[in-house]
Amino acid sequence: MMTRRNLLRLVLFAAFVLLALGVLPEAWRGWSVLLPGLSPLLSLGGALAARSAGLLTLLGLPLLVLPLFKGRYFCWRLCPMGFAAETVSRLNRRNAGLIRRVPFVGKGLALLIIGSAAAGWPLLIWTDPLCIFNGFFAAWRSPLTWLSAATAGGFVLILLASLIAPNIWCHRLCPLGGLQEWLAQLGNRLRAARGPAAQEAPTALSRAHAGRRVFLGFALGGVTGLLYRRFGLQAAAAAAAHETAACERGQGRGLGQGRQRRERASGEQDTGGHACSCGTEHRLAIRPPGAAATGFNALCARCGNCMAACPYGLILPDLGTTGVDGLFTPVLAFRSLNEQQEQFCFQECTACTQACPTGALRPLAVARKQQTAIGLAHVCKSRCIAWEKHEYCVVCQEYCPYHAIIEVERNGVMCPIVDADKCRGCGACESQCPALPIAIVVNGRARQPVLAHPSPQL
Amino acid sequence: MNAVKRRSFLKTSASAAAVGAWQTTPLGAQESAAPAATVIVVHGTDIPKMLAAGIAKLGGWGAFIKPGMKVAIKPNVAWNSKPEQGGNTHPDLVRACVLAAQAQGAAKISLPENTCHPEKSTFQASGVADALKGTQARLYRPAKEDYQKVEIPKGKIAKSAGVPKDILECDCLINMPVAKHHSGATLTLSMKNWMGSVANEDRRAWHRDGLHQCIADFNTFIRPKLVIIDATRIMLTKGPQGPGDLEHPHELILSTDPVAADAYAATLFKKAPFDIAYIQLGHEMGVGCGDLAKIKVERIEA
Repeated sequence: MMTRRNLLRLVLFAAFVLLALGVLPEAWRGWSVLLPGLSPLLSLGGALAARSAGLLTLLGLPLLVLPLFKGRYFCWRLCPMGFAAETVSRLNRRNAGLIRRVPFVGKGLALLIIGSAAAGWPLLIWTDPLCIFNGFFAAWRSPLTWLSAATAGGFVLILLASLIAPNIWCHRLCPLGGLQEWLAQLGNRLRAARGPAAQEAPTALSRAHAGRRVFLGFALGGVTGLLYRRFGLQAAAAAAAHETAACERGQGRGLGQGRQRRERASGEQDTGGHACSCGTEHRLAIRPPGAAATGFNALCARCGNCMAACPYGLILPDLGTTGVDGLFTPVLAFRSLNEQQEQFCFQECTACTQACPTGALRPLAVARKQQTAIGLAHVCKSRCIAWEKHEYCVVCQEYCPYHAIIEVERNGVMCPIVDADKCRGCGACESQCPALPIAIVVNGRARQPVLAHPSPQL
Repeated sequence: MNAVKRRSFLKTSASAAAVGAWQTTPLGAQESAAPAATVIVVHGTDIPKMLAAGIAKLGGWGAFIKPGMKVAIKPNVAWNSKPEQGGNTHPDLVRACVLAAQAQGAAKISLPENTCHPEKSTFQASGVADALKGTQARLYRPAKEDYQKVEIPKGKIAKSAGVPKDILECDCLINMPVAKHHSGATLTLSMKNWMGSVANEDRRAWHRDGLHQCIADFNTFIRPKLVIIDATRIMLTKGPQGPGDLEHPHELILSTDPVAADAYAATLFKKAPFDIAYIQLGHEMGVGCGDLAKIKVERIEA
């Protein structure tokens, strides 16, 4: 039996699935930001935390206003995550009452997110249902790997929870639902204050009681956010220092302190026979262009939009290289990290930067993207065909769009050196380096500097 | 420039090359007074007119394309670079050639190109996608299944390579590179242009194993009916991607001998042909004649 309400939900569900899958024609791809952007927790929370609002921020306004008048209209009629959770919940009618004793965690969660966002470090922003829904479908792109499917987990968890305890998501856990619940209460209050006519059923909490809870929620969020922010800034500073130290050592990428020191002491570093480790130890992850310099892990909602937006499948969810709080955040994997990958962060492409609903990735114009360094390449001379085997090569120079490979003649062939003032870390060099193993590898940067050297491609 | 390197090439390859090459064409012809190869150099500014004039000199399109033939053209459209930057074969040249093939009644015209930059941007920026609008030609980047592994019987190092099926199965193969500087190979001309055809893993292997020898090896296998080098503008530095310094010779170089065409084109860059190791190796292996003294250069104006 299909009621009109359910038909509408089904159609919307399908539409949102198409949007999240990214199967729409290319001109429409930009709309992928719509679904997660609709959640004020993501768009407004992100803007609040990043202290920077854009057009995208406006997307969150409707769901801030609608509940004042219509309660949780969005939840029961429009939300695709809610539709999925409710549908699954119907499979287990026997346990329908199971959630009665569970408190409405989502209401607290909403306050926590907003409070911590106000403190500049949004916590648990990834519990947003639209983001979880989006993450699930955005993961279904080719080639699908265990890694790229990581962002799909939340959706599955919600459905499982709904199967065990029906309706637990919408009625108890959902932070977006919780936010709308608060707003609906506020709406009722405002109407009640204006006249007794528009009274609905009185809320269980007294006004003072509710006010206290809201304050406590915000405060808890704010304090925790501030604490995290402190640690986060420290971590970012440490990473930046690490990178600077690596650059000063002429490596441009983090290597083990101990070995670096030893190499330096034995004078092997820049000579012909160098024992450059070039392993993956202490390698800084490469963030997509436009990544927020601080608080990225907090700002990122793990919605999977940037990963789905990348036409080259370069962006994958991180599995721990950016810290525990960076789990599933987007990092770029060029060929040394993903054998199948033969593409790089193409100079004309800004797709991922346009797809972020929270501002963890700021939208970049092509010109700005070409001035932004997301990483820094490093030549491992002991692996390099030109340096080590004296063969004609410099494929890295061929591919570098920024003319950042300096050629020096050694043994009758041109050998590559990276010019740190020009290298944007796009990975073009790495994408086709013929050496086995790859002799030029891009390392991430703690911050993404805007380089002074003009891009030759502009 | 690379004397040491060239000498080592000679050492490793000269003996075998001498045995292989001298017995086969076209070098056998050089003992007589007749030139070993002919290169037509057309000077002008109107590319379609230049092409028509050059082809007329070679006996007209009928000598190359007969009705119903499958034609494959290998332009150099590898980089996201504008026509005036000289990174890719000029779109007007590609179009003129495709239109001629159509007029000859070609059954199929394919332009497989393993681009270095993402194909969509590359085909668009190069102007070639637009130039081919409304024609029957298909410009595309071959997918894995479009390749076929082939043996290179005369190859010294490169013994096999993945080549697009359309190139293997065609009746008339036309090589249409742009002449430009190349950081790894000094210059990229017609022989080097085939690196834009073969599969990525072959490209990488060639760099590892000896780039110039592998280019020459592959050219013993692939035999285009016609070579048309776009030298309307040539990139002198920062090649192959550019943008670099440009010069405008306003020339098209046509030949049926890829080594001869490359040998002449090298002179535009003020290089002796045998300064480019793959030209010398191609000459020695009998791919064609790279000795300028034995090449007849016919200059025409169009």
